[in-house]
Amino acid sequence: MSKVLRINMSDLGHKWETLPKKYETLAGRAFTSAVIHNEVDPTCHPLREKNKFVIAPGLLAGTMAPSSGRLSVGGKSPLTGGIKEANAGGLTATRLGYLDLRGVIIEGAPPVETKDWYSIYIGKDTCEVKKTNDYAGMGLYELIGKIWKAYPSKPGIIGCGIAGQRLHKGAGVFGNNVENTDPGRYAGRGGLGAVLGSKRIIAIISDASSGSRPEAKDKDRFEKGRKAFKDALDNHALTGRLNNEKGEPYGALKNYGTNVLQNILNEAGALPTRGFRTGRFEDAAKISGEAVHDLVDKTRKKFGDKAEGKYGHACHPGCVIACSNVVPYEKTGKAHVSPLEYETAWALGTNLGIGVLHDVAEMNRICNDLGLDTIEAGNAIAMFMESGLIDFGDGSAAIELLKNGYHPESAKGALVCSGALTAGETLGVCRIPVVKGQALPAYDPRPIRGIGVTYATTTMGADHTAGYTIAAEIVGIKGKVTDPKAIDKAELSRTFQATTAYIDSTGYCLFIAFCVLDDDSGFNGMLDTVNGFLGKDIDIGEYGMAILKNERAFNKGAGFTAKDDRLPEFFHTEPLPPHNVVFEVSDEEIDAVFKDM
Amino acid sequence: MKIFAKLYATLRKFAPPDNELGEFFEVEFNGATISDLIEQLGFTPEQARIVFVNDSQTSDLSSTLTNRDRVVIFPPVGGG
Repeated sequence: MSKVLRINMSDLGHKWETLPKKYETLAGRAFTSAVIHNEVDPTCHPLREKNKFVIAPGLLAGTMAPSSGRLSVGGKSPLTGGIKEANAGGLTATRLGYLDLRGVIIEGAPPVETKDWYSIYIGKDTCEVKKTNDYAGMGLYELIGKIWKAYPSKPGIIGCGIAGQRLHKGAGVFGNNVENTDPGRYAGRGGLGAVLGSKRIIAIISDASSGSRPEAKDKDRFEKGRKAFKDALDNHALTGRLNNEKGEPYGALKNYGTNVLQNILNEAGALPTRGFRTGRFEDAAKISGEAVHDLVDKTRKKFGDKAEGKYGHACHPGCVIACSNVVPYEKTGKAHVSPLEYETAWALGTNLGIGVLHDVAEMNRICNDLGLDTIEAGNAIAMFMESGLIDFGDGSAAIELLKNGYHPESAKGALVCSGALTAGETLGVCRIPVVKGQALPAYDPRPIRGIGVTYATTTMGADHTAGYTIAAEIVGIKGKVTDPKAIDKAELSRTFQATTAYIDSTGYCLFIAFCVLDDDSGFNGMLDTVNGFLGKDIDIGEYGMAILKNERAFNKGAGFTAKDDRLPEFFHTEPLPPHNVVFEVSDEEIDAVFKDM
Repeated sequence: MKIFAKLYATLRKFAPPDNELGEFFEVEFNGATISDLIEQLGFTPEQARIVFVNDSQTSDLSSTLTNRDRVVIFPPVGGG
């Protein structure tokens, strides 16, 4: 019987609870959003004792289902003031799955005068809240090395870095990677790192050494589905194997990672460049997934076994898509940063007019070390460029600005860690790309309007993953590419948002969608794993909508209205070259997405 | 006629070896349609998932190309 672990940081106590019947089918995002909706006062201050930090492995985490080890974290977001779920790979979800834990709920906070820092150790039927002042104030690369030295059983680690410890709203929740060489598995968005910081927690260590693999209720159905689904993923040109039978690159994500999108969005004229001024970046190819692939090959040729660069790198145990990478230093072949994702290459590269791969990787590394969401940090740096304090394209100045984040006395450092809205308003910028206080990611909503509807209406603040309409609008998944202008944006966005909420709860990586939308045997296999695991059938649409209902209700309680479901004014008034279009979806159409919620 | 082509991701192997990533290369084109171009370049229509002609995305591979058209082709790709 699955359990829930509840930890109270006010008295440092904990208790084990049996999973309530009403949460029987809930996991991942469905679990975090239900707990936040049911237990947290939506009007509470997100960085005080009334907020909760909820950790929930996806339903299938720890099983043999392919690419199913995602972890959700949730709380009231200090960045948006609304509900937040962020998810990532890493080791923690599989570890918690092995411990048969459906969720960990961290509530309360130590008294405000507390100067101590804590870490939480979770093992099989054990939980300890330990004083770990020696973990505070250090870079995360150093921290994870230190923790694994103390716990050689390869635990999952999540937590917050310097940015979260200082309660900055751009702070993400880091996770260690499978090899523990890097703290780069980020549940980055919404400032949840600061929620951990407000509870005086630096690390949560999940040790599954005496746990066991979770078992499906209907083993035959699960196993049949797992095999069919794995075959479908392996054979799809997007999620599939590294090479074809001739040894040539085959699966796009395994070879080029998510950053394969850099060139597509650039060619589509929808790549937001220099603070959303144009849709094309002349140096896009230099920081693209193809460029990273070439750099890895080049350094492998030059340095042989000593080369550390990689593509086809898995973000969690059992991931068959393996879209992560390790970007090497060109001069030494040693690892520089892992992973360099599309959103990060965009936020810290294209968005800043920086087309030097080394500089982008360096800023990514600094963000990972400080515990910062790269999308929020990149947009915050763009505000410094908008205000004229530094120039677009000046990589050295951007790196120096970001490094201020290490210094507690630096106001610039505090600002760059506080997100685009706080930085932009403080610096007198009038075109700040945020929705509900959260910065936009790497798709301009003017030429691609469905994603604009998702940015506007998702409960999360501007978030592409919440309803990835790009799959239909640009990538052409599910049939032929339709004219983006012809698609009913409200319907498209609502369907994607509900389906995404379901996937975010299963433990599956969102990228399985590319395969299951194209391949019926993959889709049915995926359903068989979930329903076989639960021993009962659940409806994707109903399940997803129930999550969105909880999230919408929380945000309503927090004071959100239709006027918060809007894009910033400049998207309606400034045409984006090269197509010279503005965002032309009416308020009525946007409000139709969730008209009954 | 002359066509300017650009290939990305797994299709790059069909570009001339000295073609820089993100740059057009010139094709002396003997056919009429996008499908013909794809055939001439050495791959199949199934491998061409995302196609832009002169900056506009198209799904109609039977449409006719004209002299000096710019054609950009991607295989199935995605991410995010």
